[in-house]
Amino acid sequence: MLQQPFEISGLALLAPTLLLGVTALVLFLIDSIAPEESSSALLSGVTVTGSLAALAAAGAILVTTGGDPQDLYGGQLVVDGMSLFFTFIFTSVTALVALASYDYLEEFRYKAEFHSLTVLAATGMTLMASSNSLATAFISLELASLPSYALVAFLKNNRGSVEAGLKYFLIGALSSAVFAYGISLVYGVTGHLQFNQVAENLGAAGDGLVGVLGVGILMIIGGFAFKTASVPFHWWAPEAYEGAPAPVSAFLSSASKAAGFVIAFRVFTVAFPQATAVDLGIDWVLAFQVLALVTMTLGNFAAATQENVKRMLAYSSIGHAGYVLIALGALTGSADQALVLGAGMLHLVVYGFMNTGAFLFIALVEYWGVGRTFEDYNGLGKQAPVACVAMTVFLFSLAGLPIGGGFLSKIFLILAAANAATIGTYVLAFALVVNSALSLFYYSRVVKAMWIEDPVTDLEVGGYPTGLYAAIVVAAVVTVLLLPGLGLFSGVAFDAAASMIQ
Amino acid sequence: MAGAFDFAPAIALLPFGSFVVALFLGHLMPKRGALAGIIATVGSLLLSIWVALTVLGGETYNEAIYEFVAVGDQPIQFGLLLDPLSSLMLIIVSLIAVLVHVFSLGYMNDEGETGLPRYYGELGLFTASMLAFVMSSNLLMAFMFFELVGLCSYLLIGFWFRRDGPPSAAKKAFLVTRFGDYFFLVGVVAVFATFGTAQFAGPESFPRLAEAALAGEGEATLLFGLDAQTWFTVVGLLILGGVMGKSAQFPFHTWLPDAMEGPTPVSALIHAATMVAAGVYLVARIYGFYALLPTALAVIAFVGGFTALFAATMGVVKREIKQVLAYSTISQYGYIMLALGGGGYVAGVFHLTTHAVFKALLFLGAGSVIIAMHHNEDMWEMGGLKEKMPVTYYAFLSGSLALAGIVPFSGFWSKDEVLFETLIHGFGSDGGIGIALLLAYAMGLVAVFFTGFYTFRMVLLTFHGEPRSDTARDPHGVHWNVKGPLAVLGVLAATVGVINLVPVHTFVPAVPEYLHDWLFYGPEGLNGTYYEELLHNVAGVDPGYPLGEVGTMLASAAVSLGLALAGSALAVALYRGDSPVEHTDRLGSAKTVLFNNYYQDEYQVWLAQGLTMRVARGADKFDQGVVDGVVNGVSSVSLLGGSRVRRIQTGIVSNYATLLTLGLVALLVGIGLMGGWF
Repeated sequence: MLQQPFEISGLALLAPTLLLGVTALVLFLIDSIAPEESSSALLSGVTVTGSLAALAAAGAILVTTGGDPQDLYGGQLVVDGMSLFFTFIFTSVTALVALASYDYLEEFRYKAEFHSLTVLAATGMTLMASSNSLATAFISLELASLPSYALVAFLKNNRGSVEAGLKYFLIGALSSAVFAYGISLVYGVTGHLQFNQVAENLGAAGDGLVGVLGVGILMIIGGFAFKTASVPFHWWAPEAYEGAPAPVSAFLSSASKAAGFVIAFRVFTVAFPQATAVDLGIDWVLAFQVLALVTMTLGNFAAATQENVKRMLAYSSIGHAGYVLIALGALTGSADQALVLGAGMLHLVVYGFMNTGAFLFIALVEYWGVGRTFEDYNGLGKQAPVACVAMTVFLFSLAGLPIGGGFLSKIFLILAAANAATIGTYVLAFALVVNSALSLFYYSRVVKAMWIEDPVTDLEVGGYPTGLYAAIVVAAVVTVLLLPGLGLFSGVAFDAAASMIQ
Repeated sequence: MAGAFDFAPAIALLPFGSFVVALFLGHLMPKRGALAGIIATVGSLLLSIWVALTVLGGETYNEAIYEFVAVGDQPIQFGLLLDPLSSLMLIIVSLIAVLVHVFSLGYMNDEGETGLPRYYGELGLFTASMLAFVMSSNLLMAFMFFELVGLCSYLLIGFWFRRDGPPSAAKKAFLVTRFGDYFFLVGVVAVFATFGTAQFAGPESFPRLAEAALAGEGEATLLFGLDAQTWFTVVGLLILGGVMGKSAQFPFHTWLPDAMEGPTPVSALIHAATMVAAGVYLVARIYGFYALLPTALAVIAFVGGFTALFAATMGVVKREIKQVLAYSTISQYGYIMLALGGGGYVAGVFHLTTHAVFKALLFLGAGSVIIAMHHNEDMWEMGGLKEKMPVTYYAFLSGSLALAGIVPFSGFWSKDEVLFETLIHGFGSDGGIGIALLLAYAMGLVAVFFTGFYTFRMVLLTFHGEPRSDTARDPHGVHWNVKGPLAVLGVLAATVGVINLVPVHTFVPAVPEYLHDWLFYGPEGLNGTYYEELLHNVAGVDPGYPLGEVGTMLASAAVSLGLALAGSALAVALYRGDSPVEHTDRLGSAKTVLFNNYYQDEYQVWLAQGLTMRVARGADKFDQGVVDGVVNGVSSVSLLGGSRVRRIQTGIVSNYATLLTLGLVALLVGIGLMGGWF
């Protein structure tokens, strides 16, 4: 961090978001020039370049401002360590997914639409990370969601994909309605939309409006629960992840989930500070504790009995949402709030790589045309050892074994829960451990199938696609490096969390 | 200029090198690794002598050479402690190791054994571990090498792993000593917990801290609310557990006779210089600690005296030559313990030295006999070997006279000093410890008689009379590589006593008492003078002379020599002549008890099978039933729950919308009721 932060003007602060938006427009441009001859290399290249440029811009801004909050547009947006940290996650995932799509989309038409929708969704996510008012939060959330619906239904001739897209859209519409209604209730009580002003006016609920405010806050939780695929708004997730093309599943389960969390972190620490809310009788920490417990347990239990690997990963993704919810459920008055939020952020970083990698491995398997169940993975280790080693790393890191960053980030979550030191958080820490143990069971099934079992039928993988392999290997290397390197991020994460809370 | 101490690590590293060389390249070498071992141990011997000469010049060395946990003021480290005691022991160990290596050429190579690279590799590692143990500067390092010594003895005893006996004997040696080491390990941890350091020497060493704590000056962490004296005694006794296991003291002695299943040169190495000696050496090493604890001293002396007598009686009836030696080893280590417990620090080390020489000699002599007898060890099938193998006979006789304690052979001087020291400290000390020492002395004294008896029974049956079997009539010849070590040791066994002629010194002050001076004027806090002060000031152990100093000494020497002669004479009377007969039947029912070694094995087997096995089965049941049951239960509940959860995901989107809404409502109602919104 620099000693004296520089002042950067408004537009430059939004450089990551703008870069992503411009990338989307460039993609449209390319597509409108030659709609039928879309080159996979060109489109993927533009997307990867655009997202990496956005990533670099975020890094540069973080170094220049030192992560100090910078208000924009009268406080509607804010660029601070938290938003830049999450921009890093979104752009990394986008780049990985775009790289993998180079091969995955080879045979498809409408490649340009795919890429531009992805980038537009990423644009919405970066805006979510910077939102500082309920209005911008809602709009950016929709900006992130709408392209996602289309992406899930991208395989137009595939019934599963289309059905999943429709379900996703319907549940999404319902959730958005709940979210919007919650916003209106909060506005009705406090008279403000901007987070810090909402916080200042929470006291207005004192005269009999606590119930209204409470219902509003819980409905806003509902909106975020939809985005993060948390119980009870998770119903869309297994179907959408399974039906969607695997790179889209990777994108949604990693980046989109992180976007839901960043806005939740900001709203609940800035707009509804825990101390004030509890004084009013609105114990949202308890609500998050319940959600975390139910979400991680349900996700893992359901994952344990799946036969389809992609669906198993979908449920495991729900389970991981439960783990990160600990970061909100442990924001009790007794906790070191920076530590708690930082732990959640760190898990999302690691998760961004290991989970994206795991879904991209599924994409690779789909590319090969190998089946979807555990048995179909038998003997893959002999055919494609590099990819299978990477997959093993992802799965064991997801389970929390000390082979990748997932081990450390889970330890941070446990530390955070222990630091809060209430019965509820101890229960959460315990549940995290039990669920991780259970998750090792179903992750190991994949590893066992790949390495130990003999193939049922003659198995022949069709080629070794460069883009997919590159993306998987990068994700695996980063996952492993995050084990020793998480310390690098933890400082940034804890600083970012601390500066947002004050 | 680099001095001897700079090269001291090589004393242990050389045999370690021979271990690596013999193991990996031994099959390519002409003598299968023996030469590497001999060169390395000769190198160690020369370096040890150099170190000893440097120590003689008044220098000592106590430095860390590697710190592996650099935490706190007293990091955990590997270090070297080179003082009179350790340099003496280095010479003994490396000397015996050289001779055993040479002897192995005759016993193993010439007999056409296979697996020799493994043999010499293990021998090298064994020697290296023992030398490193001797040089250890702290208790933890000592413990590590103590364990390594135990491991190597396991490997060597079980060298002939394809036969039935050796693997089982190796396992027994390993398990029994491990049982003792378990206490030792707890003791090491207790020392760390109490003093924060495990250093042997220096002002911050744990014996000095213990002394300060007992004087009420220093600080030590006392556990379980015990007072300093009691707690230190507990710690001392825990460490003593390891000592008793390794030095085969009652009731942990049962592994040693079985260990005779190993190759005979290995038996010589184990019983004279290494594994068994490691135990008592440890007591001498931390004598500054034990000298503070009268109860621990009494226990050491009493265990030692009892073991000396107990093992000697069992040696009386054995038929195999190595079995007699095995029980004699147990008995002699009992004497060393008796001396250390009885306040005779120098006497204990003296007997350790002489015993190393004459017991190595006896084992190698037995090995020579066994070669000659085509590996038949039964003494009742020998006889008349005196004429056929004169070198072996005279060397063996020298060792036997030393073992029996006949003047002027080395064993007489050391055993006499052991008994004398115990006696005077028994008389001079008040209270329980005085009585305990006198009782221990009495047992040690009686054991002298049995020692003389079984020694000469062994000599007569093996070498005298008419040959009692065809092999004895026509024994297999032995080469220089067997005779050489025997000759060296035979001379040493007769003469090594001159290093400490204390009784003679009393009359003729011109006769030096080297060992006494050597050990008494060592570095600060590690010498005999200091230990005597501690014994006097802290433990209340003092010498007392009921017949005056000279009178007591003469009386003690006369009594022990008389008993040794009486025992020897009885053996000669019973077993002389051309065809001796067995007299064991005259013992009546005692014979059965003795042949069965007082049923020690039986009760220990019962402990292992009847008791431990049952407890283990119970634990296994608990593990299988309760622990595994819970685990299995959890997993089946998880899977069942999982499939239920899976069923809710119906795939119908209106169900999802309903459930979503219901879930939100449930959350709203729950939180609302708790927050009192309504």
